[in-house]
Amino acid sequence: MSNTIIQAEDITAGYNGQNPILDNISLSIGKGEFVGIIGKNGAGKSTLLKALRGFLPVWSGRVLLAGREIGAYQERELAKKIAYLQQQVELTFDYTARDIVMAGRYPYRKWWQQQSEEDKEITAACMKYTGVLEMADKPIRALSGGQRQRVLLAKVLAQQTPVLFLDEPAAGLDLFYQEEIFRFCQELCHRGKTVVMVVHELNLAARYCSRLLLARQGRIIADDVPERVLTDELLTDGYGVSIRSGRNPETGHADIYTLPEPMDEEKLRLLATIIGSDDRNAEKTAQAIGKSSMGGGEA
Amino acid sequence: MKYHRRLVAIVLFAMLLLTFVFSLSAGQYDLGFLQVAAWCCHKLGLPVLQDVNVSAQQEAVLMFIRSPRTLVGFMVGAGLAASGTILQGIFSNPLADPGIIGVSSGATVGAVVAISLGVNAVNMFAMPAFAFVGAICAVFLTIGLATRNGRIPVLTLLLSGVVVGMLLGAITAALLVVMDEYKLQQYLFWTIGSLDYRRWEHVLMGIGPIAAGISIMLLMARHLNILALGEAEAKAVGMPVVKYRLILLLVSAMTTAASVCISGSIGFVGLIIPHMMRMLVGPNHKHLLPASIVAGGVFLLFCDSLGRVLIEKTEVNVGIMTAFLGTPYFLYLLRKNSSLEK
Repeated sequence: MSNTIIQAEDITAGYNGQNPILDNISLSIGKGEFVGIIGKNGAGKSTLLKALRGFLPVWSGRVLLAGREIGAYQERELAKKIAYLQQQVELTFDYTARDIVMAGRYPYRKWWQQQSEEDKEITAACMKYTGVLEMADKPIRALSGGQRQRVLLAKVLAQQTPVLFLDEPAAGLDLFYQEEIFRFCQELCHRGKTVVMVVHELNLAARYCSRLLLARQGRIIADDVPERVLTDELLTDGYGVSIRSGRNPETGHADIYTLPEPMDEEKLRLLATIIGSDDRNAEKTAQAIGKSSMGGGEA
Repeated sequence: MKYHRRLVAIVLFAMLLLTFVFSLSAGQYDLGFLQVAAWCCHKLGLPVLQDVNVSAQQEAVLMFIRSPRTLVGFMVGAGLAASGTILQGIFSNPLADPGIIGVSSGATVGAVVAISLGVNAVNMFAMPAFAFVGAICAVFLTIGLATRNGRIPVLTLLLSGVVVGMLLGAITAALLVVMDEYKLQQYLFWTIGSLDYRRWEHVLMGIGPIAAGISIMLLMARHLNILALGEAEAKAVGMPVVKYRLILLLVSAMTTAASVCISGSIGFVGLIIPHMMRMLVGPNHKHLLPASIVAGGVFLLFCDSLGRVLIEKTEVNVGIMTAFLGTPYFLYLLRKNSSLEK
């Protein structure tokens, strides 16, 4: 593919030297794609993003950005190519939203240069786009989760990079903000930017991403358009629990849910312990729960 | 919340002028505010207050005792506060201060060595020189212990600062055990920190490194803003974190060393002033750093001058004054501002 922008060749990486978190992953991502990385907690999604950005050195294999190995870039050059939104941004000081967004302009200035008028215009435009310009002078810690995340999104946009890496940008946000972030990304991808995002919201991923990677135990077990990744078999395999994937007949959107595990003896005993203080009561409760759930299961 | 930066700047400037005059007039040899003001105006060639008479003796006191002391006080305060601001930024921790990377304990060891060798009695520059070398060695030791695979993790740096501080404290104690009483007294004066008998030579000695350090810091304010966001954020926007952390560490170590080697160890200024200014002008170092520099100088001068007039016929050392004034205010800030608990 000529418009490949990121390519990983057999990368293996991890944190402590013995257990690799990423196990021989190869993939290539083209310009304008909106790639969602899905999978259960601990599958190596964030680690993959870090390795692709060069934060985590790979043990073997290599990562290419626009045909050039990622380690060959200078840090500032790299920051002009890929912007990265961390999963959790911990701030000690009360920086204002504007200060934070201005940080995105850092790679464009030589070390002795101060911020220019152009920087101010760009940061203002980014904040306006994500709808946080009115709160530009407020300390970021005083903002709500959704506003904060939009400020951070404005910051990575201010970096003006062709590629955006977002690690769970919608985590902990309410319904509207979640979907808005996906909408922003889709708009940007339609105009040629490439977005790689770690996602937990499968229903949104199905609607907005152009491609999904399903990670399991450091490997990519599926890599395709959302419809072909979000199947019962692949998801059940990837997440290790029974998952059903269908379509909402009214909206046509994907409808993904997990099936409960069957009630067994041990679980009933545990429930009885948790609920009942008095022994007799506990037994009764256990029986009652047993009956209703068994009955439900048969029906 | 809106910061009133312009107001803070005006107030700081006014306080700067007032404390300079206060410092020039306060002390055992009585001088009125008016005489000080007149002397300043005469010196600057301003055609005001020409009817106020300043005697030759008064002029000598102002010129050779009060002026150098005032300048040293301001320089040291500014240097300590600037270093504190930098360290709090590097560590993204509002409780860091210049003592944390071993500067103060290194300077103390240097001073104690100078005292026990007796060189401080021979040459007035010996003790500051020893203290400076000690401070710089301590910082290199701290950084060296903390460096792992070309990285300097903040927590490791803080811990190795503690370890180096303890080691140097033990060395100091060992040297003190074999000292005679007269030398012990000199040590005591060093640890308390004082601006007594500071002359123009001290000003000349300190002004180079302190002014250079502060200039570099001001130039790097933008980088400090990025570093203070944390290591991961700084890397994400393309900052070579280790390099900048190291440069800023060394610059603040040098500035602190230059400050404490002419004043003795003075606590609290480097901790409290940046903290206070951050509440008034916000955490952006473009505003915070200049504000801290001026406020640090003003605070130290004020403490020193107050120490001179508080008790008749005697002086309270500036190190004692900063602690006495600093502690309650800091406690007040801690109780009032809950942002530290977050």
